[in-house]
Amino acid sequence: MDKDGEKVEEVTLEQQVEVMEEFLDGLVEAFGLSGEVSSEKVDDEIVEIRIEGEDLGLLIGPKGQTLAAVQELARTVAQRQLAGPHQGRVRLDVSGYRKRRAEALTRFALQVAEDVKSTGTPKMLEPMSPPDRKVVHDALTDVEGVRTASEGEDRRRRVVVLPD
Amino acid sequence: MDDTNDIDEGNAVVGAHARDVLAYLIESIVSDPDGVEVSVDESGNRTRLDVSVSPGDMGRVIGKRGRVANAIRTVVRAAAVRDDLEVDVEFVD
Repeated sequence: MDKDGEKVEEVTLEQQVEVMEEFLDGLVEAFGLSGEVSSEKVDDEIVEIRIEGEDLGLLIGPKGQTLAAVQELARTVAQRQLAGPHQGRVRLDVSGYRKRRAEALTRFALQVAEDVKSTGTPKMLEPMSPPDRKVVHDALTDVEGVRTASEGEDRRRRVVVLPD
Repeated sequence: MDDTNDIDEGNAVVGAHARDVLAYLIESIVSDPDGVEVSVDESGNRTRLDVSVSPGDMGRVIGKRGRVANAIRTVVRAAAVRDDLEVDVEFVD
């Protein structure tokens, strides 16, 4: 409700996706690259926009930093163009990077868990983004003999794997 | 592939991809696209792209705690790889 007591319309995920897809199409073109932009509903709260094509590594960057920045800017553009509270969340993937990264992180986390179990010594991982940390926590939640915690602030926040 | 030719093309307009991407990003974010100016300064070690926007749009392109500005820098540096350049992006008022 706004100050006049009228109902404030929520900006739907579909509206956000439309604006973001158009922005991303233009961005790929400005890069002089070619890619297909499409979207898929992950659940009621999340839609994933995907850019697929050859040689899109530049849009991913080291450790997915460029991908994260592009996602941030796409969300900013949607915020600017569509006034009002935004429903749900739109995330971005480029050439399946997010999925491959999650698989690799999971394998790595399981290896670390084995080390921690056999040595009995906690192991601190390198700083990671919130979604990456979530992948690690999720990967080890059902592993017996270890537990996970997070330490540090902001960009230095990292997962610690401890013997349990 | 003829490498020499590639380099010549890339240098025809210095930082063409970086500039295109920067202008596109800024114009997508501001409310006054006509007030956007991008200029190139090659006097230093690294190519510098200077951006100016209408006074009312400065906060929009910087964002809270500089988040939007930093994201713009990251993406423009990626685009500059296509120009064989390292670039800095400065927001000037």
